[in-house]
Amino acid sequence: MLKAASTLGVIFFPAFDWAISRTHPEREERLLYTQDQFREEGLFDIDGISEHRPLFATDTDILRAHFCFPSVDAICTESHRVSAGGAIQAARLVMENETRRAFALVRPPGHHAMKVVHGNRGFCNINIEAVMIEWIREHYGRKRIAIVDTDCHHGDGTQDIYWHDPDVLFISLHQDGRTLYPGSGFPNENGGPRALGRTVNIPLPPRTSDAGYLHAIEQVVLPILADFQPDLVINSAGQDNHYSDPITNMQFSAQGYARLNELLKPDIAVLEGGYSIKGALPYVNLGICLAMAGCDYSAVREPDYNQAALAENAETMDYIRALSEEILEGYFNPEPGDFEKKGDWFIRERKIYYDTDGILEQQRERLKDCDQCRGLRLINTSSSRILPCLGVELPIDCCPACEREGYEAFHNTHDDYLVAQLLDQKNKRFEYRPQK
Amino acid sequence: MRIGIDIGGTHTDAVLIDGTRLVAAAKAPTLPDNLLASITGVLEAILAGQDPRRVRTLNLSTTLSTNAIVTGAIEPVGVLVVGGPGISPETYRIGDHYHLLPGSLDHLGNETLALDSEELDRAVDACLAAGVRSFAVAGKFSPRNPAHENTISERLKDRAEFVSTGHLVSGQLNFGRRIHTAYYNSAVWRTFRAFSAALGRSLKGFDLEAEVNILKADGGTMPLARALDTPVQSIFSGPAASVMGILATVPADTDALMLDIGGTTTDIALFADGQPLLEREGISIEERPTLVRAVHVESIGIGGDSQITVDNGTVRTGPQRLGPCLAAGGSTVALMDACNLLGLAEFGDTDRSRAGIDTLAAAHGLDSRELAQAAVDAAVAAIADRIEAMVARVNAKPVYTIHEILHDRLIAPQQVLVIGGPAAVFRDPLARRLGLPAVVPPLAGVANAVGAALTRTTSHLTLTADTSRNRVSVPMLGVYRTVKRGYTLDTAIDEARTLLAEDLERSGAAVPADQIQITQADAFNMVEGGYTLGANIRVVAQVQPAVIARLDADTSTARLAGPV
Repeated sequence: MLKAASTLGVIFFPAFDWAISRTHPEREERLLYTQDQFREEGLFDIDGISEHRPLFATDTDILRAHFCFPSVDAICTESHRVSAGGAIQAARLVMENETRRAFALVRPPGHHAMKVVHGNRGFCNINIEAVMIEWIREHYGRKRIAIVDTDCHHGDGTQDIYWHDPDVLFISLHQDGRTLYPGSGFPNENGGPRALGRTVNIPLPPRTSDAGYLHAIEQVVLPILADFQPDLVINSAGQDNHYSDPITNMQFSAQGYARLNELLKPDIAVLEGGYSIKGALPYVNLGICLAMAGCDYSAVREPDYNQAALAENAETMDYIRALSEEILEGYFNPEPGDFEKKGDWFIRERKIYYDTDGILEQQRERLKDCDQCRGLRLINTSSSRILPCLGVELPIDCCPACEREGYEAFHNTHDDYLVAQLLDQKNKRFEYRPQK
Repeated sequence: MRIGIDIGGTHTDAVLIDGTRLVAAAKAPTLPDNLLASITGVLEAILAGQDPRRVRTLNLSTTLSTNAIVTGAIEPVGVLVVGGPGISPETYRIGDHYHLLPGSLDHLGNETLALDSEELDRAVDACLAAGVRSFAVAGKFSPRNPAHENTISERLKDRAEFVSTGHLVSGQLNFGRRIHTAYYNSAVWRTFRAFSAALGRSLKGFDLEAEVNILKADGGTMPLARALDTPVQSIFSGPAASVMGILATVPADTDALMLDIGGTTTDIALFADGQPLLEREGISIEERPTLVRAVHVESIGIGGDSQITVDNGTVRTGPQRLGPCLAAGGSTVALMDACNLLGLAEFGDTDRSRAGIDTLAAAHGLDSRELAQAAVDAAVAAIADRIEAMVARVNAKPVYTIHEILHDRLIAPQQVLVIGGPAAVFRDPLARRLGLPAVVPPLAGVANAVGAALTRTTSHLTLTADTSRNRVSVPMLGVYRTVKRGYTLDTAIDEARTLLAEDLERSGAAVPADQIQITQADAFNMVEGGYTLGANIRVVAQVQPAVIARLDADTSTARLAGPV
């Protein structure tokens, strides 16, 4: 019988009773054929690969990662709590050394959910990786964490959440934003003023195949990880780069996905998108599991796989080679962004559209340019649905002055905001201001 | 009246039961080379003075197939496997005649590579030339589409004596287990057939015209005629029989634990609402997982003969056993000797127990009573730890719906039922350690035979429908047909019930319709390009193991015949 070279815990949670709507890509059927494939292949009979049920994310688990307005319950249903709980279970297995690696094969996904949440964007309500990472840091202390987002869509939510956090390296490989939702993820998006270079974007041209994608992994991602020296590597594992995916334009294969994970060696992988539910997911998921467990995956192949038709075009390859060099250089010598500043505060003003729920959010973020700590962050946000709300974030190394100022803002602005939420990483306080 | 016979590794037990009354019980040594003689011996004892024609049912639990495999007394099997992409079918290589044939299906049952007919002929010829007459056929995803397996079985029809076809052995998905299950089925077939023929002759001699059923590992029975097709299902039926025996002798309709304490090991089983928990997919044979449904039993190396050792002042019990305890004439200080010294038991030669413990205690500068107490405590603690881990594991089993995450009921045992030789000795210490009432059921000595006598026929089937392609399949019954577009989940449930009932009736074991349980009923909306194409329907129907009667509370006063 087969034996895993490194033990793998799989949290397989298909949410067979949840859908965004009857025919939405995020529907009950999504992981049905993956389950059939796993069962027929006897994945969980492999010595060292085990199956686990998700935990259930509490309000506090979610408030550590997000500002949810007007409340947590308004933003997330039980399905989101179970999905985030699946990611937490994956982290728990690895952090407690119950398994060497873990794969949270859960839905719904999360990587388009930003720091502030008013509703569903790109099929995501809460960012399950971020909820997991904050759970890890709460229970196991400050860690250096690298997230490699391999979903075909730019992980704009995760990028936003860790934009100012120098402890978290966020690398996203995705189909070029000029050709796909959400339209962002360009190399010049490289982190906030206090975390410059900690965000790395690798936009790949449409029709990129295994060779080009793996070139970017080997020539950009691995050297950056070697430099950053993370305590944990997390793969935000979307499966929509696949050549059969109905809503993207890439040419990646199950073999490519398996090799990617063999190279990346993530401690934890978390499922994101991927909607070719019959033609890709059964094979991609099998390939990822086998690769993460250090088992032979060489015979995992889609029935319609055609190596010649999916060979990398020479022009695309040249483009990716040049791009890779440029991005690696940009990581080591990051170009400062065009940060707007008023007095002691860095200012960001944005409009964010929630495509699934049709909400338009208006946001003004102020980050204190503090020389004692990373700086207090205040976010004013309102939307087409609700009146202005306030988010107050105190960083883990918050200095006494920023702490005082943050608490003043939290307590003394009753008349200005519908809801105020405190996210105090230093004193571990995550709460809403009591209503007057 | 009903007869239950349990042919165990050392003893063969039999009981005769009339309604809810135990009429007679008997015990004889098992003669591994002549099981029939063991059966004849106990039958003579329990039928003495009875009218054998009143016996309607004879249920038999036998170690025949298990022993054949353990001792290697099995015949060579030609294993013909159609794999395709994915985990290599080499992983499951078994026996000396394992042939991989080109061909493949995908998870929907679509053929993605045709079966290579020439390779098939070559493999069959090679097997026949090597004298192989029994075959096992298994293809990846065959429950979704049996075409490749059927082609192979057809090719073997006039050339093989026996063929196990994967999708008929189990409708569950698991390629490796399907290969192993079909292999073992074909490997024990001849042994089982010979036994069955001899059994028939023997029963005629007793003037018995009862219907004969064979115990399965899931605690239920199958008619003898079915057992000839699927003898592998009779494997490991002994522990299942004792689990059913408990259900037949004590009221247990809550969550409960069963402990069967033997000489070498203690077997632990769990009941949820009085139902024995089954293995998720199937039991392992020679460490190879199969699709044979079985009662989930965990073993721990603690028994009456578990050796007591002292290591740096720490007293340990088990897991090793070096022959019987001192009290039974052995040469190692064992758990039963400690029980004798503490006055918990009076088993065998108690003077030898005392002397042995005294010597061991003196060698390590310990007090004899303290050492004996520490040994018993260690044994009880080991069993309790294992129980806690087992309950935690069962409660942590994966689930696939949000409803189950939020509303799944956790198992919490309310009582412990202890059987086996030293059961009475450990009842109180276990009850204290576990904080649960512990009961030693009456007739614990013949619980297996009682369970065999009173259990009923079990069966199950899996129905899968894909209405986008107008297909419905019930692999184990070989049903693959087309359906109309309007086929719904409700239609599927009705069909599953009807098919299972009809199949049981055909096998001669009719079961009332209300005894058929639906354990899975899901319909997934199948969408392509934003449009609903149909439904993917999954239904599992089963008749779960249950005893048909509970013995009267005063059964222990029944007349016991023969060498009990």
